[in-house]
Amino acid sequence: MDQVESLLKRPKAYNNIDGTGELGMAFMCLCFALLLWLQLNTPKDSIWNQMYVLFIWVGLMVAMIYFGIMAIKNHITYPRTGFVAYRTQNRIWTTIVALVIGALASVGLVLAVHSHRHIVMPVFFLGLFFAAGYAFGIARSGGVNALFRWKWAVVLAQVLGSLTIAVLPGELTAALANGSSVPAGFSASSAGAFLLWLLMYGTLLLISGAISFWLYLRHTQAPAKEAHEPANADVQ
Amino acid sequence: MNRQTQTFNEIDRVIHEPGRLMIVSLLFAVDRADFLYLQHETEMNKGTLSSHLSRLEEAGYVDVLKTYRGKVPQTLLHLTGAGRKAFEHYRRKLKEAL
Repeated sequence: MDQVESLLKRPKAYNNIDGTGELGMAFMCLCFALLLWLQLNTPKDSIWNQMYVLFIWVGLMVAMIYFGIMAIKNHITYPRTGFVAYRTQNRIWTTIVALVIGALASVGLVLAVHSHRHIVMPVFFLGLFFAAGYAFGIARSGGVNALFRWKWAVVLAQVLGSLTIAVLPGELTAALANGSSVPAGFSASSAGAFLLWLLMYGTLLLISGAISFWLYLRHTQAPAKEAHEPANADVQ
Repeated sequence: MNRQTQTFNEIDRVIHEPGRLMIVSLLFAVDRADFLYLQHETEMNKGTLSSHLSRLEEAGYVDVLKTYRGKVPQTLLHLTGAGRKAFEHYRRKLKEAL
C-alpha cells in the first residue's frame, strides 16, 4: 500500500525533475534584484522608478520564464523521459493557494518594514518562509529519493544566508542601496538587506537548479535518432 | 465465507496485477501522460508495457490516443472515469483487507 502511495506522488516530483522550477524561480529573484538595484541607484524620476515599468518588467519576466521552461521541457525533458499533463483542477487550487500565501507574505513584509522595526525581523522571517516553502516542495516531491536528498543542504543554506543578512551591520546593507532613491517608509539599510536577500536566494536556487539539471542529463539518455534518418546524415 | 475473504474477492484483478497497478497509480495522479513517461517510471520494456495497456484499454480503464509531438509519434494515455472509480474502489478494498 505504501508503494502505491509513493507512486501517486511521483508525477508531482516529475514536474521539477529537470530543475526548471528552481531555475525559473532563480531567474525571477535575480530579475527582481536587478530591478530593485536599478530603482535604488537611479534618480526618483528615472524610468526605472515608474510604476508602468514594473508591470512591463514583470510581464516580460513571466513570459521569459514560461517560454524558457516550455522550451527546455519540449526539447530536452519530454523527448528523454516523457510528457505529463497535470490535472487542471489541482493546478488551479495550487496556483490560488500560492498566490494567496505570496500576497499575505508581501503584505506582512511591507507592514513589518513600515512599523519601523529593525530590518532583521522582516528579512529573516521572509527567508524562513521561503526556506519552509522550498523544504515543503522537496518533501512533497521525493525528499527520500537519493537524487533529491542533497537539496536539504540548500534549505540549510537558505536559512543561514537569511540569518547572516539579517545580522549584517546596517551601514553595509545601506551601502548597497546607496541611499539615492529609497521608497518612503523604507530605510536604506532595509532596502539594501532586501536586495542582498534576493541576490542570495536567487543565486542559491540558480545553483540548485543547475545541479538538478546536470544530474537529470547525467541520469537520462538522449532520444535515439529517428530510424529513417541516414546514419551518416551529418557527414558531408 | 468470512468478511476478509469476501473483501479479497472484491479486489479488482485487472488493477491488482503489479505492473498494471503501477500504471494506474501513475495515471491516477495526472490528466494524461505519454508512453515514454510510463516506460521511464515503471522501467518496463515496450512489449510488457503495451500488453498491460491493452489489458487496461480492454477493461475500459485507459484511453489511448495516438498523436504527434511535432514530427515525432506520441501515444497519450488517460485514465477514464471508470478507471478512476475502479482504482479508488481498489484502494479502499485493499485498505480494508489490510
